[in-house]
Parts: sequence; structure tokens; C-alpha cells
Amino acid sequence: MLGTIVQQFVNGLTVGGIYALIALGYTMVYGVLRLINFAHGDLCIFGAYVGLVVLGSGAGSGHAQLLWLGAAFLVAAVVVAAAGVVLELTAYRPLRRADRLSAVVSALGASLFIENGIMLIWGPQLRVFPSNLLPSMHWTALGARIDLVQVLIIAGSAVLMAVLYWFVHHTRYGTAMRATASDQDAARLMGINVNRVIISVFLIGPAIGAIGGLFIGLYYRQVYFTMGWNYGLSAFIAAIIGGIGNIPGAMLGGVLLGLFNAFAAGFISSSWQEAITFALLIGILLVRPTGLLGERVAEKV
Amino acid sequence: MRPLRQSLLSVLLTAGVMAVGSAAQAATPIKIGVQAPITGQYANEGQGIADAVKLLVKQQNAKGGLLGHPLEVKVCDDQGEAAPAAICARQLVNDGVLAVIGSYTSGAALAAQPIYARANVIQTSDGTSDELTARGYKTFFRNAPPNSAEAIFTAGYFKAAGLNKIAVITDHSSFATGLADAVVADAKKEGIDVLDKAYINAGSQNYTPVLTKLAAMNPQAIYFSGYYTDGGLIKAQMAQLGMKAKFIGGDANQNVAFAKIAGNAAAGAIIINVPAPEDLPYPAAKEFLAQFKAAYGHQPPSIFTLTNADGLRAILYTAEKIKSVDPAKLIPALHELKDFEGLTGTFSWNAVGERTGSPYVAFEVMPGGAYKIIYPPSAAGK
Amino acid sequence: MKAVLDGINRPWIGAVLWLAGLAVPLALDQTWMFIASLFAVYAIVALSQDIVLGRAGMFDMGHAVYFGVGAYATAILNTQFNWPILATWPVAVLLAALAGAVLSAPIVKLRGDYLLVVTIGLNAIFVLALNNNLARMTGGPDGIFGIGVPSIFGWQLASASAQFWLDWVAFAATLVLIHNLDRSHLGRTLYYIKHDQLAATTMGIDIRAYKVLAFALSAALAGFAGTLFAALMAAVSPGAFVFTESVTLFAIVLVGGQGSIPGVLLGTALMFVVPQAFRQFAEYRYFVFGIAMVVVMVLRPQGIWPRRRSAGAKA
Repeated sequence: MLGTIVQQFVNGLTVGGIYALIALGYTMVYGVLRLINFAHGDLCIFGAYVGLVVLGSGAGSGHAQLLWLGAAFLVAAVVVAAAGVVLELTAYRPLRRADRLSAVVSALGASLFIENGIMLIWGPQLRVFPSNLLPSMHWTALGARIDLVQVLIIAGSAVLMAVLYWFVHHTRYGTAMRATASDQDAARLMGINVNRVIISVFLIGPAIGAIGGLFIGLYYRQVYFTMGWNYGLSAFIAAIIGGIGNIPGAMLGGVLLGLFNAFAAGFISSSWQEAITFALLIGILLVRPTGLLGERVAEKV
Repeated sequence: MRPLRQSLLSVLLTAGVMAVGSAAQAATPIKIGVQAPITGQYANEGQGIADAVKLLVKQQNAKGGLLGHPLEVKVCDDQGEAAPAAICARQLVNDGVLAVIGSYTSGAALAAQPIYARANVIQTSDGTSDELTARGYKTFFRNAPPNSAEAIFTAGYFKAAGLNKIAVITDHSSFATGLADAVVADAKKEGIDVLDKAYINAGSQNYTPVLTKLAAMNPQAIYFSGYYTDGGLIKAQMAQLGMKAKFIGGDANQNVAFAKIAGNAAAGAIIINVPAPEDLPYPAAKEFLAQFKAAYGHQPPSIFTLTNADGLRAILYTAEKIKSVDPAKLIPALHELKDFEGLTGTFSWNAVGERTGSPYVAFEVMPGGAYKIIYPPSAAGK
Repeated sequence: MKAVLDGINRPWIGAVLWLAGLAVPLALDQTWMFIASLFAVYAIVALSQDIVLGRAGMFDMGHAVYFGVGAYATAILNTQFNWPILATWPVAVLLAALAGAVLSAPIVKLRGDYLLVVTIGLNAIFVLALNNNLARMTGGPDGIFGIGVPSIFGWQLASASAQFWLDWVAFAATLVLIHNLDRSHLGRTLYYIKHDQLAATTMGIDIRAYKVLAFALSAALAGFAGTLFAALMAAVSPGAFVFTESVTLFAIVLVGGQGSIPGVLLGTALMFVVPQAFRQFAEYRYFVFGIAMVVVMVLRPQGIWPRRRSAGAKA
């Protein structure tokens, strides 16, 4: 029994780390723009595809492998960050002063565009990642097994989250971000270049999300073009659970969602899995609408 | 001399009219419709079906068409859903097609059935839901063997392999739930203990929670009735969790991508289906695969591309045999189809349009991705 | 542009167009007649979405649920209990309204974006319940087949043209309803709730009650369309009520123009009828949609055909 519980814990933590990385992008954008960036999930999966292109061309083995992996992560992050900025400039900036719902529709349109763009470029069938990218090591503890790739993901997510946390809370740039999220006009009055802050949010969020997307590709070794919507929705739910606009909240929400999914499917019911997750979300929203750690968004009186 | 010249003239005229008439007749193209999910989550399969039909039509036209008529293809996207399927059905009927090949999902086939039946348009589909042949539509023919036949064979295999404790996994699709329910019922009849029937969300990729739960029950085998995209992952994740149970998959797990997706864990998986074309000694199947690859640059996405191709081939074959494309004659003739050598095995079509006579086998995936038939013993010798 | 749109935005032009529409079965073939019938049904659903989103200002992105409740109510009552279609209609509408009221009551207090996500969740739960063959009545992923044709006083509406006229008349009734809603006390109250909730509260309006009422009304209308849908398709399945349908409805209202009847109808036609004309470009359909949605919103955030402001009303 203990083995099962620990195993579910490992399962949940791995997926939770990925959710957290993607959720960060949502929460950061929502924090500064009050906008649900529906296209974010698709950007992350785009990152997985970009990584696949890099890995596919470096079919070597042995030492070169690690270099290729590193290159894949780097290229994916950079390309997707650039795409994120383009997205902000074309689909969201022109709507800054308009009705919020218009931006939501624009985001939905952007999501369709990216998702189907991926399909038109890489085809509708799923794409498989090369095998043997990582040595297949595993460890057993307390009756559960954990694989090298899972360790990589859990550790990688944790490190990224720690770095982001440090950046947001202990650097001037991060403080500027938090100020903009809290009150855009006041931030402007303090001399903060709000547009630049927003651009950086659209650089960092998608970049981290792209790494999350590539983790998905490495873990499951496959990607297909409709994944972005599913992961995006889950990640957004995670961000809300933790408290939208709240960066530690997104991290916590992601991990909790992953764990919750694992235990719900494992111990309650696998056929109502999705429903239970949404029921949890609705429950949390009704009882504590600002999420577990409280929301941090611009107050508009 | 006048009467002779007159009669000569009239003969020439008649001959001329007939020639022109038959030329016009020979020129009328026969239209073949394709109703398939060109977009949507099964886009892969739908495009494969359309490609296969186009290839066959091109080949037939190179041979002079069907009974002298050139063939034309009309494709309609049903997105795998009922409402677009109904619209497609009406459009294709309006276009004047002789037969419609497709659709991939049972739901889309069911929605289109009454419309084709009313218009006397032949419909073939590889939807395996048993509902499809239960409605008495004479125009419907199933390309792929139904779930019920596969379930009986599967239960028999469990028994023969000495598997007494199994767990079943399915997704929420009509095809997979139908197959899983049938397998569970037949397995129980054979006295096998079905420990649990679990569900996954197709495409969600995250199956370790469900597998962990099942592992705690210690099944000897896990039977998965869904598609290869998830089947491959399930096999990989079973290995990741260190599970000792065997993986047995239903027919939709057979796809070259299964081994790729499962990666190093693919070896040892057992799949139940009609024999793969690569394994059949029929030159026709190998030829078709090679031609498909040459025309489109990749292998057909799955066996269902070939079952649909068989649907069209059977129609063409029957039409040539009875030398008619009149639905009133063609449809009864199709119901009489016996032992047709399809790419996916020898089969017949019975009075309700059900495909019969296809031998199932269970094969094991070898390291390297090849298949080895392991059951029934008569087939295993190959 | 505005002047032109305002110029044609007169009720009697709509009436003329509607009358012209009656001739569709005589002028167009079966396929287009079916598409026109589907258009009428989806237009009713889109108009119902407009009530809750465009007029009451609530971010409902799970509206397909109420459409589905109506459709499935008719399907179950007709196939399992042999009720005539038209007899199921009031039940479908009532059940949908009830669902709207019950589901919305606890959540209308949530802020816009949260309401949005909750409605997405409700949609997902609904579809899952249908797929899981809840109470063994919903037929699982295959859905329910063999729904009969409606009959009025024994006269069966079996032909495609008869169905079309039924749907077209229902469409007219809906247009009249919405038109009157605009002019009614309820309509004005909803307008204020959407545009200035604070002012409305200070005037003593029970915001929560009106919001639930708006939800229930829009759900009832969606259920109304659901019955027509079930009769038209002769079948219902979970796939017709998934989240993507709700997103399409949401987009229709915003791209067409919130609270604008011609806008919503135009949106329905664009999202729905136009793709039929371009079926050979099927693969590119959603790609083009995506671009179009972004472009329309950026160039014209108020929608293609926004609601006409009557002279003297505050902007």
C-alpha cells in the first residue's frame, strides 16, 4: 500500500512540475494584463516541436547527446520567447484599451492559429521523440520506482521555479514586474517602462513554458498538435488554484494539481477523473475565490 | 440504287449516333465519395483514407476506369462528428456518388447511414460499433470485423495463454468502450477474473496513476481496447513502473507507430488483430504499401487505411464481375461477396453487411518492431 | 460604415429577409436546405448566448450544456418513453432553464474570468456524464439514435422542407422574443447590470437574482433550440456539445457584436455557413478562423456589426 502511495506521489510530482512551469506563463501574463492568454499552452507545445527539430537533427549518441539536449532546450526557449513577444505585439497590444473580452477572443484566435499552424507544418499525426536520449536508469525506494527522466523533470522544474522566484523577488527587474502587476498606472508614475515589463513577461513566461513543453516531449516521447489546448487548460486551472497573478501560487497550484490528478485517478475513479478535477476547481473557487495563496492582480476601482 | 444508298446512310447515321452516344456514355465519370475526418483529432486517419481512395482510383483509371467510365473522387470532411457527417452525407448524395468510403468513427457512420440508405448510395465504414449493422440498412457494409468477433477471440486467447486474472483499460470512445465491454463479458464467460475496468482520457498521456492503481491488484495481464497512440504509452509506462503484467492490445493498437511510441518497452507487447498486411503473403498488399509510400512519401497511418481500401476494392471487383454499376443490382451482389482477397485478409459480406471470415491472430512485438504471430497455434507456425 | 449599418439595422429589413428565407426549399437543393435549417437552429443558440454574454455581461463559456440538456431531454423522452417531439419541447425548455438556474446560482457572484473557467468546467463535467452513460439513459459516446420526426396535430413533418419551415418559424419567434427583450424592463435592467453594476445596485436592483434569471432565460432558449436540433439530426451525441462548441458560440457573439441581433446572425453565418462553401480547403479552415478572429478583434474590437446605440443613450 505504501508503495502505491509513494508511486502515485512520484507520478503526480512529475506531471505537477510540468503543470507548474506552464502555469507560470499564465499567471504572469494575467498578473500584468488581466488577460487569459489562451494561446500560451499552444506556445509551450510549439516549444516541444522546436526541440524535436533540434533533437531530430542530432541523432548522435553518447556524449554528444547531452549537448544536443541542452541545445534543444535553449533553442526552444529562445524561439518560443520570440514567438511570445510577436503574439503580444500583434494580438494583444492593439487591444490594450479595448473591452477585455475582445482580447479574450483575440487570444482564442491566436490559439487556433498556432495550433493549426503546427498541424500544417508538422502534420496531424503524432510525432515521436528519438529514444535513448537519456540513459535509462531508475531507482527504487519505499516500494516505488523513479526514473532518471522523472528526476530530471522534478529537479529541473524546481530549479527553474527557484530561479524565477529569486528573479521576481530579489532583483530590480522583478520588483518592476510586481509593481506593474499590482498597479500599472502607479508603476508608470514611478518611471517604470510598463511596455518593457510586459514584453519581458512575454519573454520569460513562454520561455519557461517551452522548457515545460519539451519536458512533456521527453517524458512521454510524443507530441501532437492538439496537446496545447489540454495542457493549457490544466495549467490555467493550476494557476487559479494557487491564486492567479501569484507566482509562488502557480508553482504550488501546478504541483497540487498534478498530485491531485494522480490520487483521484488512482484512488477514487478513473472514469470521472476530469470531472473530479473540475469539481475541485469549482469547490475552491466558491470557498476561496482568490485561490490558495491569494491573487495578485491590478485593482481597478 | 437509292434504297441502298438510303439504307447505307441510315446505317452510317445510326452507327454515328451510337458512337457519339457511347462516347458520351463512356465519358460520364462515376463518382466515389469519401467521408472521413480530414480535420479534427483523427485527421491523421481521415487523410490516410482519402489518400488510399485517391490512389486506388488513379490505378483503376490507368486501367481504363470502371467498365469504361473514368472514376472521380469527392472528399468530404466529417470531422469525426455526427452533425458534419450528416451534412457530408447530403452533399455527397447531391453530388451523385455511387458509393461512399469511410467514415472512420462509428458516430459519424451512424449519423450518415439513413441518408445514404434513402438515396441508395453504397456506404462502407470501418466503424466497429455493433450498432452499425443492427439497423437493417441494406446499403451499409462494414470494412473491418466487428467488436463482437474480436472479443470472442480475445477471451479465447486469454484462456489458452493461462491468464486468469486480468485488468481492462479503455478510453471513452464508442469503439473502445464497446470492445472493452464485449471482452469483459466474454472473459467472464470463460471463467477469467476481471479485476477492474479502468478508464483513461485518450490523449492525456498521463496514465501512470491508473497503472499504479491496477498494479496494486497484481493482474497477470492488462488488456487495452483503445488506440495505439495511447497503447504505446501505456506499454512504456508499464515498463517505467516496473510492472510484470503482460500488455495485450485490441486491434486499434496495431500501427507501426506503436513500437516507436513505446520505444524500448515495445518488445513483449501482444496485439490482437487480423494479420498485418506486411505479414500476409499477398503480393497485392505489399504492392499497395509500396505504391502508397511512393505516392505519398510515408506509410499508411494504420490498418484502417487498408480496410477502407478493401471496401473500395471489393466494390470495384463486384461491379466488374456483374458488369453493372446500377445500385439495384450492385447492392445485392455485394451482399453475396464471398472470399474476396482483401489487403487485410480474405473476407465475405453477409446479408446485413457484416464482414465475416477474417481470421484473427495474436502477435507479439519483437525487439526491433517486427511482429511474430503466437496464437492460434495453426497460424503461429508461419 | 456606422451610418450604413445603422441604416440597414431596422427591424423591417430583418422581416423582409426572413420572408425571403421562406423560399429556400423552393430555390435551393437539399444540402443547402439542411444547412439553412442548421443555421436557424444555431442562430437561436447563438442568440441565447448573446443574452447571457452580450446583454447581461456574464462570461459563459459553457453554454453548449443547455443546448445539450434540451437536445438530450427530447431524445430520451422520444426514444425511450415514446413522447411525441412537440410534447417534449416544453419539458426540454424547462429542464434547460432549471439547469441554468441551478448551475448559475452559486457561481454568478464570481468575477468574470473565474466564472469563465467554472463554466468551462461545467461543460467538461456535462460531456463526461453523457459519455459515461449516466443513469444508463444517455447512450454513451454513440449517443441516442432514431429520434422521430415532429408532428403537428397528426400531420408528420417528415420532409426536409417541412423541418426547415418549422426551424425557420421558430427562428422568427426567437427574433421577436429578443427584440422585445431589448425593449422590456428586464432587458434594460440587464443592460445596466452589464455596464454599470455599481449604479444598478444603488438603484436597489437585486443583481444576483437578475443574473440568475438571465442565465435561466438564455438556458431555456438554448434548450428550445436543442429540441429542434435533435429532431433535425434524428440523433444526438456528446460530440455536438463539447467545449469547442461553447467557444464557437462565445466567439460568434464577440466577433459579430455583443447585444446586436444582426451581428450575432452574421457571426453565426461566418463561423458556420461559410466553411461549407469552402469544404475543399478543409485543412486550412481553423487556421483561417484563428487569423480572422485576431484580425477582426484588432481592427474592430466592438464586433463586425455592433449594437446600435439609440440616440440620446449614454455611450
